[in-house]
Amino acid sequence: MAAEITAGHDGRAELVIRVRHENGVVAPVVLDGETGFRLLAGRGADDLAALVGRSWRDVLAETVLGGT
Amino acid sequence: MYDILIKGGRVADGSGAPAFVADVALKDGRIAAVGPALPGEARRVIDATGRMVAPGFIDPHTHFDVQLLWDGAARPALEHGITCVVPGNCSLSLAPLRAGDRAAVVGMFQQIEEMPPAAFTEAFKWTWEDFPGYLAALRRNLKINVAPLVGHSVIRLWVMGADAARRTARPDEIAAMGDLLRQCLEAGAVGLSTSFVDTDENGRPVPSRFAAFDELDALCAVLGEFGRMLQIVPEFYDVDLTIARIDQLAELSLRHGIPTTFSPVFDSHLTPAAAPRALGRVEEQFALGARVWPQMQTRPIDISFSLLRPSLFFARLPRWVRVLRLPLDQRIATLTDAAMAEKMVADVGPDGGDQYMGALIVRGGDRAPAEIVGRTLRDIAAERGEPVARALISLSLEHGLDVAFLAASRGHDDTSRIGPMLAHRLVHIGASDGGAHLASFATYGDTGYLFSEFVRRSGALSLEAAVKKITADTAEIWGLKDRGRLQPGWAGDVVVFDPQTIGRGEERPVFDMPGGGMRYIRDAVGIDTVVVNGEVAWTAGAYTDAAAGAICLLN
Repeated sequence: MAAEITAGHDGRAELVIRVRHENGVVAPVVLDGETGFRLLAGRGADDLAALVGRSWRDVLAETVLGGT
Repeated sequence: MYDILIKGGRVADGSGAPAFVADVALKDGRIAAVGPALPGEARRVIDATGRMVAPGFIDPHTHFDVQLLWDGAARPALEHGITCVVPGNCSLSLAPLRAGDRAAVVGMFQQIEEMPPAAFTEAFKWTWEDFPGYLAALRRNLKINVAPLVGHSVIRLWVMGADAARRTARPDEIAAMGDLLRQCLEAGAVGLSTSFVDTDENGRPVPSRFAAFDELDALCAVLGEFGRMLQIVPEFYDVDLTIARIDQLAELSLRHGIPTTFSPVFDSHLTPAAAPRALGRVEEQFALGARVWPQMQTRPIDISFSLLRPSLFFARLPRWVRVLRLPLDQRIATLTDAAMAEKMVADVGPDGGDQYMGALIVRGGDRAPAEIVGRTLRDIAAERGEPVARALISLSLEHGLDVAFLAASRGHDDTSRIGPMLAHRLVHIGASDGGAHLASFATYGDTGYLFSEFVRRSGALSLEAAVKKITADTAEIWGLKDRGRLQPGWAGDVVVFDPQTIGRGEERPVFDMPGGGMRYIRDAVGIDTVVVNGEVAWTAGAYTDAAAGAICLLN
């Protein structure tokens, strides 16, 4: 998983997560600012670089399950 | 005798054909004649020498539902040359709406529009519940034309009450929704809007998101009786989900013989395949006979933030992230600590943050002093004799952190990519969101930006093609009767503008919302005169008393 910042529809910064699937396909998913920040906080990360290489399950835990 | 004679301009008539020098005569609200050196007198003559004369522009994606009740011009949309707006997008309209459900819908509107509460309590009187009643309220002082959508969420709310935001509908409820939609369409609704992403003020999904496909299918069958539009907001953050929605829209379009449209479609260097893939699927579905119009906005997307709450703008600066995540009082205390501030400045780089933050613009509309509004942080920092990052911290602390900064053009900003997409025959220029996001950014001036950036600067579209895109094409897509072209017998909606200067002004805060509420706007640039239904509505930089706007008739 890798992450970068982009501009969101509502004018706030959003997080673009790139997920590498088992078959090698890399697909982007955009998280809104609040979810992105929750993801950083939930994973104990202060920097986007800390998300690189993490499991997609981390994102699911924050976005679907609302944090672990 | 004509009412108005616009003399000697270059006429781009909406057809896309090369512009030609001609006069345009109007009488009884309609175009009376178009031709060189028209004979006859007029009560009012407008000299358009050296100017373009075009049909009024049409904005197909707005949220002016509330504002139109006290501001029939949808300011500043009209002065940008917009003579027709489509409100009611994204599943939300102000009718049909029972009195008991108003609070719920106001919350949804406040989430989308960021309009102050006073707008709903002081600026107008709720005189309606049904759709015809809302249209009657609009007509009282309408200066701009309106083609209103009816929102799926409010239709659900009317039929299902609180259960609208809890569950799927029963067959009897779906039938009742169909009957209600039919009444709205008979009254003049241009179509139905729905959303798969929007939320209310509490972050809860809006009612339309609880609908199963059979409900949407049944409502589209009603749209099919009239050939009217289905507008949706798909899961635009994920291109695969968007493509799935395109396929769903195509199925509905073919089955019920209706046009459909979705928005927004953004381009980003971080997801460069997304917009082309979506447009590719649109092409495939059009080839099969479906009508699925993707709406793309012209303006770039900015990032705005203040230190009042965390922003991902700082997500590459761990120390900043940690500080900005603190509770407000601790955050202020930490930022006030000089040693900590020095470390934060050092984190941004040896240039003191010039590259990272120097181009940030102080937005205004908050506690920022007027003299620094609109200036870059680099400029302000130099004046203060501070590194850029230090200036950001100091300025914020001096004003309770209530200072908003703007990072301009951070998405949908590559003209070399977006120009060809806007010129694509199947791309519907729209998605302005006019009247929404009031406290976040200006949603006005997209048409001016189309001409300044994509016609004049990059040449992605000819001027005539650009005019066609936002006039005749839009009218045809939405089925607006007799609008979008300058030809005899059609509606007298006309814009006179300077092709060398038409554009948009700088974003600026104004406090003209009910209760003194703030919003960001952009002034029109290069627009001389705007005529709505044969009456001059805006000229020489000012609005007139004309109130000739109408609810659009439909094909």
